[in-house]
Amino acid sequence: MDYQLDLGAVTRNMGPLIEGLWVTLQLTLAANVIGVIAGFGLALLTTSKLAILRWPSMLFVEFFRCTPAIVQIVWFFYCVPMIFNVFWGPVFMGIIALGLNLTAFNAEAYRASIQAVPREHLDAGIALGLSPAQRILNIVLPQALRNSVPVLLTNGIGIFQQSALVAIVGVADLMYQGKTLATATYRPIETFTIVALIYLAISYPVGQFVNWLERRQSYA
Amino acid sequence: MNATTTNSALVEINDLHKNYGPNVQVLKGLNIDMMPGERVVVIGPSGGGKSTLLRVVMGLEQIQGGSLRFGGKPYITTKGSKTVIDSEVRKKIGMVFQHYTLFPHLSIMENLILAPRKVNGESRASARERGQKILERFGLAAKADAYPSQLSGGQKQRVAIARALMLDPKLMLFDEVTSALDPELVAEVEQVILNLAAQGMPMMMVTHDMWFARNVASRVIFCAGGVVVEDGPPEQVLGDPVEERTREFINRVFHIKA
Repeated sequence: MDYQLDLGAVTRNMGPLIEGLWVTLQLTLAANVIGVIAGFGLALLTTSKLAILRWPSMLFVEFFRCTPAIVQIVWFFYCVPMIFNVFWGPVFMGIIALGLNLTAFNAEAYRASIQAVPREHLDAGIALGLSPAQRILNIVLPQALRNSVPVLLTNGIGIFQQSALVAIVGVADLMYQGKTLATATYRPIETFTIVALIYLAISYPVGQFVNWLERRQSYA
Repeated sequence: MNATTTNSALVEINDLHKNYGPNVQVLKGLNIDMMPGERVVVIGPSGGGKSTLLRVVMGLEQIQGGSLRFGGKPYITTKGSKTVIDSEVRKKIGMVFQHYTLFPHLSIMENLILAPRKVNGESRASARERGQKILERFGLAAKADAYPSQLSGGQKQRVAIARALMLDPKLMLFDEVTSALDPELVAEVEQVILNLAAQGMPMMMVTHDMWFARNVASRVIFCAGGVVVEDGPPEQVLGDPVEERTREFINRVFHIKA
Protein backbone atom coordinates (compact mmCIF):
# COMPACT_ATOMS: atom_id res chain seq x y z
CA MET A 1 0.00 0.00 0.00
CA ASP A 2 1.51 3.28 -1.02
CA TYR A 3 -0.91 5.38 1.02
CA GLN A 4 0.75 8.38 2.65
CA LEU A 5 -0.70 9.16 6.06
CA ASP A 6 -1.40 12.86 6.50
CA LEU A 7 -2.70 13.52 9.98
CA GLY A 8 -2.22 17.22 9.33
CA ALA A 9 -5.28 17.23 7.06
CA VAL A 10 -7.31 16.44 10.19
CA THR A 11 -5.37 18.30 12.85
CA ARG A 12 -5.55 21.51 10.82
CA ASN A 13 -9.36 21.10 10.81
CA MET A 14 -10.03 20.21 14.45
CA GLY A 15 -12.58 23.05 14.81
CA PRO A 16 -15.58 21.13 13.38
CA LEU A 17 -14.59 18.00 15.32
CA ILE A 18 -14.49 19.96 18.59
CA GLU A 19 -17.89 21.44 17.74
CA GLY A 20 -19.19 17.95 17.00
CA LEU A 21 -17.75 16.62 20.25
CA TRP A 22 -19.53 19.42 22.09
CA VAL A 23 -22.86 18.36 20.53
CA THR A 24 -22.13 14.72 21.40
CA LEU A 25 -21.43 15.67 25.02
CA GLN A 26 -24.66 17.68 25.16
CA LEU A 27 -26.61 14.71 23.79
CA THR A 28 -24.94 12.41 26.31
CA LEU A 29 -25.43 14.60 29.37
CA ALA A 30 -29.03 15.52 28.60
CA ALA A 31 -29.97 11.92 27.74
CA ASN A 32 -28.41 10.84 31.04
CA VAL A 33 -30.40 13.39 33.01
CA ILE A 34 -33.56 11.96 31.42
CA GLY A 35 -32.43 8.36 31.81
CA VAL A 36 -31.37 8.58 35.45
CA ILE A 37 -34.57 10.31 36.57
CA ALA A 38 -37.21 8.77 34.29
CA GLY A 39 -35.52 5.37 34.53
CA PHE A 40 -36.07 5.40 38.27
CA GLY A 41 -39.76 6.25 37.89
CA LEU A 42 -40.12 3.55 35.27
CA ALA A 43 -38.42 1.00 37.54
CA LEU A 44 -40.96 1.74 40.27
CA LEU A 45 -43.73 1.15 37.72
CA THR A 46 -42.23 -2.14 36.50
CA THR A 47 -41.99 -3.40 40.10
CA SER A 48 -45.51 -2.21 40.96
CA LYS A 49 -48.07 -4.66 42.29
CA LEU A 50 -50.71 -3.13 40.00
CA ALA A 51 -50.82 -4.87 36.62
CA ILE A 52 -52.20 -1.74 34.95
CA LEU A 53 -48.99 0.12 35.84
CA ARG A 54 -46.66 -2.83 35.41
CA TRP A 55 -47.66 -4.04 31.95
CA PRO A 56 -47.34 -0.81 29.91
CA SER A 57 -44.05 0.02 31.59
CA MET A 58 -42.65 -3.45 30.93
CA LEU A 59 -43.78 -3.15 27.32
CA PHE A 60 -41.89 0.14 27.04
CA VAL A 61 -38.73 -1.46 28.44
CA GLU A 62 -38.98 -4.51 26.19
CA PHE A 63 -39.54 -2.37 23.10
CA PHE A 64 -36.24 -0.56 23.64
CA ARG A 65 -34.38 -3.69 24.70
CA CYS A 66 -35.58 -5.74 21.75
CA THR A 67 -35.15 -3.32 18.85
CA PRO A 68 -31.87 -1.97 17.43
CA ALA A 69 -31.02 1.54 18.61
CA ILE A 70 -30.54 2.63 15.03
CA VAL A 71 -34.12 1.59 14.19
CA GLN A 72 -35.42 3.45 17.24
CA ILE A 73 -33.63 6.63 16.19
CA VAL A 74 -34.65 6.49 12.55
CA TRP A 75 -38.23 5.71 13.53
CA PHE A 76 -38.26 8.56 16.03
CA PHE A 77 -36.83 11.14 13.61
CA TYR A 78 -39.14 10.26 10.73
CA CYS A 79 -42.37 9.14 12.42
CA VAL A 80 -42.76 11.35 15.47
CA PRO A 81 -42.97 14.63 13.49
CA MET A 82 -45.49 13.06 11.11
CA ILE A 83 -47.66 11.39 13.74
CA PHE A 84 -47.65 14.15 16.33
CA ASN A 85 -47.14 17.09 13.99
CA VAL A 86 -44.27 18.47 16.07
CA PHE A 87 -41.01 19.79 14.67
CA TRP A 88 -38.18 20.06 17.13
CA GLY A 89 -34.55 20.88 16.45
CA PRO A 90 -32.39 17.86 15.54
CA VAL A 91 -30.31 18.01 18.75
CA PHE A 92 -33.45 18.09 20.89
CA MET A 93 -34.91 15.18 18.91
CA GLY A 94 -31.66 13.28 19.44
CA ILE A 95 -31.74 13.96 23.18
CA ILE A 96 -35.29 12.65 23.49
CA ALA A 97 -34.63 9.55 21.36
CA LEU A 98 -31.43 8.65 23.23
CA GLY A 99 -33.02 9.61 26.56
CA LEU A 100 -35.95 7.23 26.04
CA ASN A 101 -33.59 4.41 25.13
CA LEU A 102 -31.48 5.05 28.23
CA THR A 103 -34.61 5.31 30.37
CA ALA A 104 -35.53 1.74 29.44
CA PHE A 105 -32.07 0.34 30.16
CA ASN A 106 -31.64 2.29 33.39
CA ALA A 107 -35.07 1.12 34.56
CA GLU A 108 -33.75 -2.43 34.27
CA ALA A 109 -30.64 -1.48 36.25
CA TYR A 110 -32.74 0.05 39.03
CA ARG A 111 -35.20 -2.85 38.99
CA ALA A 112 -32.39 -5.39 39.35
CA SER A 113 -30.88 -3.53 42.30
CA ILE A 114 -34.26 -3.08 43.98
CA GLN A 115 -34.87 -6.81 43.70
CA ALA A 116 -31.34 -7.58 44.92
CA VAL A 117 -32.12 -6.15 48.36
CA PRO A 118 -32.45 -9.29 50.52
CA ARG A 119 -36.00 -10.21 51.53
CA GLU A 120 -34.80 -10.68 55.08
CA HIS A 121 -34.01 -6.96 55.28
CA LEU A 122 -37.66 -6.24 54.58
CA ASP A 123 -38.70 -8.81 57.18
CA ALA A 124 -36.40 -7.08 59.65
CA GLY A 125 -38.05 -3.78 58.72
CA ILE A 126 -41.48 -5.25 59.50
CA ALA A 127 -40.17 -6.68 62.77
CA LEU A 128 -38.91 -3.19 63.65
CA GLY A 129 -42.38 -1.77 63.09
CA LEU A 130 -41.51 0.31 59.99
CA SER A 131 -44.43 1.11 57.69
CA PRO A 132 -44.30 -0.03 54.04
CA ALA A 133 -43.32 3.49 52.92
CA GLN A 134 -40.63 3.71 55.60
CA ARG A 135 -39.24 0.33 54.55
CA ILE A 136 -38.97 1.46 50.92
CA LEU A 137 -37.44 4.83 51.84
CA ASN A 138 -35.02 3.72 54.56
CA ILE A 139 -34.11 0.16 53.62
CA VAL A 140 -34.74 -0.58 49.93
CA LEU A 141 -33.92 2.65 48.11
CA PRO A 142 -30.61 3.56 49.80
CA GLN A 143 -29.25 0.06 49.10
CA ALA A 144 -30.72 -0.13 45.60
CA LEU A 145 -29.45 3.28 44.50
CA ARG A 146 -25.95 2.57 45.72
CA ASN A 147 -25.86 -0.81 43.96
CA SER A 148 -27.16 0.62 40.70
CA VAL A 149 -24.49 3.33 40.31
CA PRO A 150 -21.94 1.20 38.37
CA VAL A 151 -24.58 0.00 35.89
CA LEU A 152 -25.98 3.51 35.47
CA LEU A 153 -22.48 4.77 34.64
CA THR A 154 -21.92 1.91 32.20
CA ASN A 155 -25.26 2.62 30.51
CA GLY A 156 -24.51 6.34 30.52
CA ILE A 157 -21.18 5.95 28.76
CA GLY A 158 -22.85 3.44 26.44
CA ILE A 159 -25.24 6.17 25.33
CA PHE A 160 -22.21 8.41 24.69
CA GLN A 161 -21.08 5.82 22.14
CA GLN A 162 -24.59 5.08 20.81
CA SER A 163 -25.15 8.79 20.26
CA ALA A 164 -23.00 8.49 17.11
CA LEU A 165 -26.08 6.93 15.49
CA VAL A 166 -27.81 10.30 15.31
CA ALA A 167 -25.26 11.32 12.66
CA ILE A 168 -27.26 9.35 10.10
CA VAL A 169 -30.32 11.52 10.68
CA GLY A 170 -28.37 14.74 10.35
CA VAL A 171 -27.51 15.76 13.89
CA ALA A 172 -24.15 17.56 13.74
CA ASP A 173 -22.41 15.46 16.38
CA LEU A 174 -18.81 14.22 16.45
CA MET A 175 -19.49 11.37 14.02
CA TYR A 176 -21.38 13.64 11.60
CA GLN A 177 -18.55 16.20 11.60
CA GLY A 178 -16.07 13.39 11.09
CA LYS A 179 -17.97 12.12 8.04
CA THR A 180 -18.14 15.62 6.61
CA LEU A 181 -14.45 16.21 7.21
CA ALA A 182 -13.45 12.85 5.73
CA THR A 183 -15.36 13.66 2.56
CA ALA A 184 -13.98 17.19 2.32
CA THR A 185 -10.34 16.20 2.87
CA TYR A 186 -10.41 12.80 1.14
CA ARG A 187 -8.74 11.53 4.34
CA PRO A 188 -11.13 8.87 5.78
CA ILE A 189 -8.42 6.81 7.48
CA GLU A 190 -6.96 9.75 9.39
CA THR A 191 -10.32 11.30 10.19
CA PHE A 192 -12.19 8.22 11.38
CA THR A 193 -9.16 7.01 13.35
CA ILE A 194 -9.00 10.29 15.21
CA VAL A 195 -12.78 10.30 15.74
CA ALA A 196 -12.54 6.77 17.19
CA LEU A 197 -9.67 7.83 19.45
CA ILE A 198 -11.72 10.76 20.77
CA TYR A 199 -14.60 8.39 21.69
CA LEU A 200 -12.07 6.01 23.27
CA ALA A 201 -10.33 8.77 25.23
CA ILE A 202 -13.58 9.69 26.94
CA SER A 203 -15.12 6.23 27.38
CA TYR A 204 -12.04 4.45 28.69
CA PRO A 205 -11.51 6.48 31.90
CA VAL A 206 -15.21 6.16 32.75
CA GLY A 207 -15.01 2.39 32.25
CA GLN A 208 -11.95 2.23 34.51
CA PHE A 209 -13.76 4.33 37.11
CA VAL A 210 -16.68 1.86 37.04
CA ASN A 211 -14.27 -1.06 37.55
CA TRP A 212 -12.72 0.69 40.52
CA LEU A 213 -16.15 1.45 41.95
CA GLU A 214 -17.29 -2.16 41.62
CA ARG A 215 -14.13 -3.44 43.27
CA ARG A 216 -14.64 -1.03 46.15
CA GLN A 217 -18.29 -2.04 46.55
CA SER A 218 -17.46 -5.73 46.62
CA TYR A 219 -15.20 -5.13 49.63
CA ALA A 220 -17.97 -3.36 51.55
CA MET B 1 -55.69 -9.98 88.24
CA ASN B 2 -58.63 -8.60 86.31
CA ALA B 3 -61.64 -10.82 86.90
CA THR B 4 -62.82 -10.55 83.31
CA THR B 5 -59.53 -11.93 81.97
CA THR B 6 -60.24 -15.56 81.17
CA ASN B 7 -56.76 -16.36 79.98
CA SER B 8 -53.59 -14.68 81.19
CA ALA B 9 -51.38 -16.10 78.44
CA LEU B 10 -48.95 -13.75 76.71
CA VAL B 11 -49.35 -15.51 73.37
CA GLU B 12 -52.33 -17.69 72.50
CA ILE B 13 -52.08 -19.63 69.26
CA ASN B 14 -55.33 -21.33 68.30
CA ASP B 15 -55.66 -23.93 65.56
CA LEU B 16 -53.01 -22.25 63.37
CA HIS B 17 -52.93 -23.36 59.74
CA LYS B 18 -50.25 -22.20 57.33
CA ASN B 19 -49.68 -23.34 53.74
CA TYR B 20 -47.07 -22.38 51.20
CA GLY B 21 -49.03 -22.61 47.97
CA PRO B 22 -51.89 -25.07 47.54
CA ASN B 23 -49.92 -28.26 48.18
CA VAL B 24 -47.53 -27.52 50.99
CA GLN B 25 -49.12 -27.52 54.42
CA VAL B 26 -46.55 -26.43 56.98
CA LEU B 27 -48.68 -25.87 60.07
CA LYS B 28 -51.73 -28.07 60.49
CA GLY B 29 -53.70 -26.86 63.46
CA LEU B 30 -51.11 -25.73 65.97
CA ASN B 31 -52.10 -24.81 69.54
CA ILE B 32 -49.73 -23.15 72.00
CA ASP B 33 -50.42 -20.96 75.02
CA MET B 34 -47.32 -19.15 76.17
CA MET B 35 -47.40 -17.65 79.66
CA PRO B 36 -45.65 -14.38 80.57
CA GLY B 37 -42.04 -14.95 81.58
CA GLU B 38 -41.77 -18.23 79.76
CA ARG B 39 -38.80 -19.02 77.54
CA VAL B 40 -40.02 -21.41 74.89
CA VAL B 41 -37.57 -23.33 72.73
CA VAL B 42 -39.10 -24.95 69.65
CA ILE B 43 -37.23 -27.99 68.36
CA GLY B 44 -38.01 -30.50 65.66
CA PRO B 45 -37.01 -31.92 62.29
CA SER B 46 -36.38 -29.52 59.42
CA GLY B 47 -39.52 -28.77 57.46
CA GLY B 48 -41.53 -29.29 60.62
CA GLY B 49 -42.65 -25.67 60.69
CA LYS B 50 -40.48 -24.25 63.50
CA SER B 51 -39.24 -21.17 61.67
CA THR B 52 -42.61 -20.68 60.03
CA LEU B 53 -44.20 -20.64 63.47
CA LEU B 54 -41.87 -17.85 64.59
CA ARG B 55 -42.45 -15.90 61.40
CA VAL B 56 -46.22 -16.17 61.89
CA VAL B 57 -45.89 -14.91 65.48
CA MET B 58 -43.83 -11.97 64.15
CA GLY B 59 -46.63 -11.17 61.71
CA LEU B 60 -44.50 -11.85 58.63
CA GLU B 61 -46.72 -14.53 57.12
CA GLN B 62 -50.22 -14.88 55.76
CA ILE B 63 -52.11 -17.68 57.49
CA GLN B 64 -54.83 -19.93 56.17
CA GLY B 65 -56.72 -20.52 59.40
CA GLY B 66 -56.75 -20.06 63.15
CA SER B 67 -55.94 -17.00 65.21
CA LEU B 68 -53.35 -15.49 67.52
CA ARG B 69 -53.87 -13.33 70.57
CA PHE B 70 -51.15 -11.33 72.27
CA GLY B 71 -51.40 -9.97 75.81
CA GLY B 72 -55.07 -10.94 75.83
CA LYS B 73 -55.84 -8.89 72.68
CA PRO B 74 -56.67 -10.13 69.19
CA TYR B 75 -53.50 -10.02 67.10
CA ILE B 76 -53.82 -12.12 63.95
CA THR B 77 -57.08 -13.40 62.49
CA THR B 78 -58.36 -14.48 59.10
CA LYS B 79 -61.16 -12.83 57.18
CA GLY B 80 -62.10 -14.97 54.23
CA SER B 81 -58.77 -15.70 52.51
CA LYS B 82 -57.15 -12.59 53.98
CA THR B 83 -54.91 -12.39 57.02
CA VAL B 84 -55.60 -9.46 59.30
CA ILE B 85 -52.63 -8.42 61.45
CA ASP B 86 -52.90 -5.71 64.12
CA SER B 87 -49.70 -3.77 63.46
CA GLU B 88 -49.88 -1.98 66.82
CA VAL B 89 -49.78 -5.33 68.61
CA ARG B 90 -46.99 -6.44 66.29
CA LYS B 91 -44.80 -3.57 67.51
CA LYS B 92 -44.63 -5.22 70.93
CA ILE B 93 -42.69 -8.15 69.45
CA GLY B 94 -39.02 -8.15 68.45
CA MET B 95 -37.23 -10.66 66.25
CA VAL B 96 -33.67 -11.62 65.40
CA PHE B 97 -33.01 -13.61 62.24
CA GLN B 98 -30.44 -16.17 61.20
CA HIS B 99 -28.61 -13.85 58.78
CA TYR B 100 -28.10 -10.72 60.96
CA THR B 101 -30.15 -8.46 58.64
CA LEU B 102 -28.29 -5.34 59.72
CA PHE B 103 -28.79 -2.61 57.12
CA PRO B 104 -25.41 -2.36 55.37
CA HIS B 105 -25.77 1.30 54.37
CA LEU B 106 -26.26 2.43 57.97
CA SER B 107 -23.71 2.58 60.78
CA ILE B 108 -24.29 0.48 63.89
CA MET B 109 -25.77 3.46 65.75
CA GLU B 110 -27.97 4.37 62.79
CA ASN B 111 -29.19 0.77 62.66
CA LEU B 112 -30.17 1.05 66.33
CA ILE B 113 -31.97 4.39 66.17
CA LEU B 114 -33.76 4.04 62.81
CA ALA B 115 -36.92 2.39 64.15
CA PRO B 116 -37.17 4.32 67.46
CA ARG B 117 -37.00 7.56 65.50
CA LYS B 118 -39.25 6.61 62.57
CA VAL B 119 -41.75 4.44 64.41
CA ASN B 120 -41.91 6.08 67.84
CA GLY B 121 -40.87 9.59 66.88
CA GLU B 122 -38.09 9.59 69.45
CA SER B 123 -35.55 12.41 69.18
CA ARG B 124 -32.16 11.59 67.68
CA ALA B 125 -30.35 12.65 70.87
CA SER B 126 -32.51 10.52 73.14
CA ALA B 127 -32.32 7.47 70.86
CA ARG B 128 -28.54 7.81 70.54
CA GLU B 129 -28.18 7.98 74.30
CA ARG B 130 -30.19 4.78 74.77
CA GLY B 131 -28.32 3.17 71.89
CA GLN B 132 -24.97 4.00 73.44
CA LYS B 133 -26.08 2.44 76.75
CA ILE B 134 -27.19 -0.78 75.09
CA LEU B 135 -23.96 -1.00 73.09
CA GLU B 136 -21.96 -0.50 76.29
CA ARG B 137 -23.94 -3.27 77.96
CA PHE B 138 -23.14 -5.54 75.02
CA GLY B 139 -19.46 -4.56 74.95
CA LEU B 140 -19.83 -2.88 71.57
CA ALA B 141 -19.56 0.79 72.54
CA ALA B 142 -16.49 1.27 70.35
CA LYS B 143 -18.41 0.05 67.29
CA ALA B 144 -21.14 2.71 67.30
CA ASP B 145 -19.81 4.43 64.18
CA ALA B 146 -18.59 1.30 62.41
CA TYR B 147 -20.52 -0.26 59.53
CA PRO B 148 -21.93 -3.81 59.62
CA SER B 149 -19.33 -5.04 57.11
CA GLN B 150 -16.58 -4.19 59.62
CA LEU B 151 -18.03 -6.48 62.32
CA SER B 152 -17.67 -10.21 62.95
CA GLY B 153 -20.76 -12.42 62.65
CA GLY B 154 -21.07 -12.62 66.43
CA GLN B 155 -20.85 -8.87 66.80
CA LYS B 156 -23.41 -8.36 64.04
CA GLN B 157 -25.84 -10.72 65.72
CA ARG B 158 -25.40 -8.94 69.06
CA VAL B 159 -26.11 -5.63 67.34
CA ALA B 160 -29.24 -7.19 65.80
CA ILE B 161 -30.39 -8.16 69.30
CA ALA B 162 -29.59 -4.66 70.60
CA ARG B 163 -31.54 -3.15 67.69
CA ALA B 164 -34.62 -5.18 68.58
CA LEU B 165 -34.31 -4.26 72.28
CA MET B 166 -34.29 -0.55 71.42
CA LEU B 167 -38.05 -0.85 70.87
CA ASP B 168 -38.63 -2.31 74.33
CA PRO B 169 -40.35 -5.52 73.11
CA LYS B 170 -42.61 -7.58 75.36
CA LEU B 171 -41.59 -10.77 73.56
CA MET B 172 -38.38 -11.67 71.72
CA LEU B 173 -38.20 -14.19 68.88
CA PHE B 174 -34.88 -15.79 67.93
CA ASP B 175 -34.86 -17.77 64.70
CA GLU B 176 -31.71 -19.93 64.58
CA VAL B 177 -29.63 -16.90 65.48
CA THR B 178 -26.39 -18.86 65.89
CA SER B 179 -26.75 -21.20 62.90
CA ALA B 180 -24.79 -18.97 60.51
CA LEU B 181 -21.98 -18.26 62.96
CA ASP B 182 -18.52 -19.74 63.14
CA PRO B 183 -18.38 -22.09 66.15
CA GLU B 184 -16.11 -19.83 68.19
CA LEU B 185 -18.57 -16.93 67.87
CA VAL B 186 -21.64 -18.81 69.08
CA ALA B 187 -20.97 -18.39 72.81
CA GLU B 188 -20.93 -14.58 72.80
CA VAL B 189 -24.37 -14.46 71.20
CA GLU B 190 -25.81 -17.19 73.44
CA GLN B 191 -24.46 -15.35 76.48
CA VAL B 192 -26.39 -12.21 75.53
CA ILE B 193 -29.59 -14.24 75.20
CA LEU B 194 -28.94 -16.01 78.52
CA ASN B 195 -28.49 -12.59 80.17
CA LEU B 196 -31.80 -11.45 78.69
CA ALA B 197 -33.43 -14.62 79.97
CA ALA B 198 -32.05 -13.96 83.46
CA GLN B 199 -33.70 -10.54 83.35
CA GLY B 200 -37.05 -12.20 82.71
CA MET B 201 -37.50 -11.36 79.02
CA PRO B 202 -40.16 -13.64 77.54
CA MET B 203 -38.77 -15.36 74.46
CA MET B 204 -39.56 -17.96 71.87
CA MET B 205 -36.76 -19.42 69.82
CA VAL B 206 -35.74 -22.02 67.30
CA THR B 207 -32.29 -23.50 67.79
CA HIS B 208 -30.36 -26.60 66.83
CA ASP B 209 -28.03 -26.16 69.78
CA MET B 210 -29.40 -28.58 72.35
CA TRP B 211 -26.96 -27.52 75.04
CA PHE B 212 -28.20 -23.96 74.65
CA ALA B 213 -31.83 -25.10 74.55
CA ARG B 214 -31.40 -26.92 77.85
CA ASN B 215 -29.78 -23.88 79.47
CA VAL B 216 -32.13 -21.17 78.28
CA ALA B 217 -35.53 -22.87 78.06
CA SER B 218 -38.23 -22.94 80.69
CA ARG B 219 -40.30 -24.98 78.28
CA VAL B 220 -39.52 -27.02 75.19
CA ILE B 221 -41.95 -27.73 72.38
CA PHE B 222 -41.26 -30.52 69.91
CA CYS B 223 -42.88 -29.68 66.60
CA ALA B 224 -43.14 -32.18 63.75
CA GLY B 225 -45.43 -32.55 60.77
CA GLY B 226 -46.99 -29.18 61.46
CA VAL B 227 -48.36 -29.97 64.92
CA VAL B 228 -47.11 -29.93 68.52
CA VAL B 229 -46.01 -33.47 69.33
CA GLU B 230 -44.65 -32.89 72.80
CA ASP B 231 -44.65 -29.91 75.11
CA GLY B 232 -43.07 -29.75 78.56
CA PRO B 233 -40.13 -28.72 80.74
CA PRO B 234 -36.67 -29.14 79.15
CA GLU B 235 -35.73 -32.02 81.46
CA GLN B 236 -38.67 -33.98 80.10
CA VAL B 237 -38.64 -33.17 76.40
CA LEU B 238 -34.86 -33.16 75.99
CA GLY B 239 -34.02 -35.69 78.68
CA ASP B 240 -36.81 -38.22 78.95
CA PRO B 241 -39.47 -37.61 76.31
CA VAL B 242 -42.87 -39.23 76.60
CA GLU B 243 -43.67 -39.39 72.90
CA GLU B 244 -42.01 -41.93 70.64
CA ARG B 245 -41.39 -39.39 67.83
CA THR B 246 -39.67 -37.02 70.25
CA ARG B 247 -37.54 -39.85 71.59
CA GLU B 248 -36.44 -40.80 68.08
CA PHE B 249 -35.55 -37.20 67.26
CA ILE B 250 -33.64 -36.66 70.51
CA ASN B 251 -31.71 -39.90 70.03
CA ARG B 252 -30.75 -38.86 66.53
CA VAL B 253 -29.61 -35.40 67.66
CA PHE B 254 -27.55 -36.84 70.51
CA HIS B 255 -26.26 -39.80 68.51
CA ILE B 256 -22.68 -38.95 69.37
CA LYS B 257 -22.18 -39.82 72.98
CA ALA B 258 -19.06 -38.59 74.79
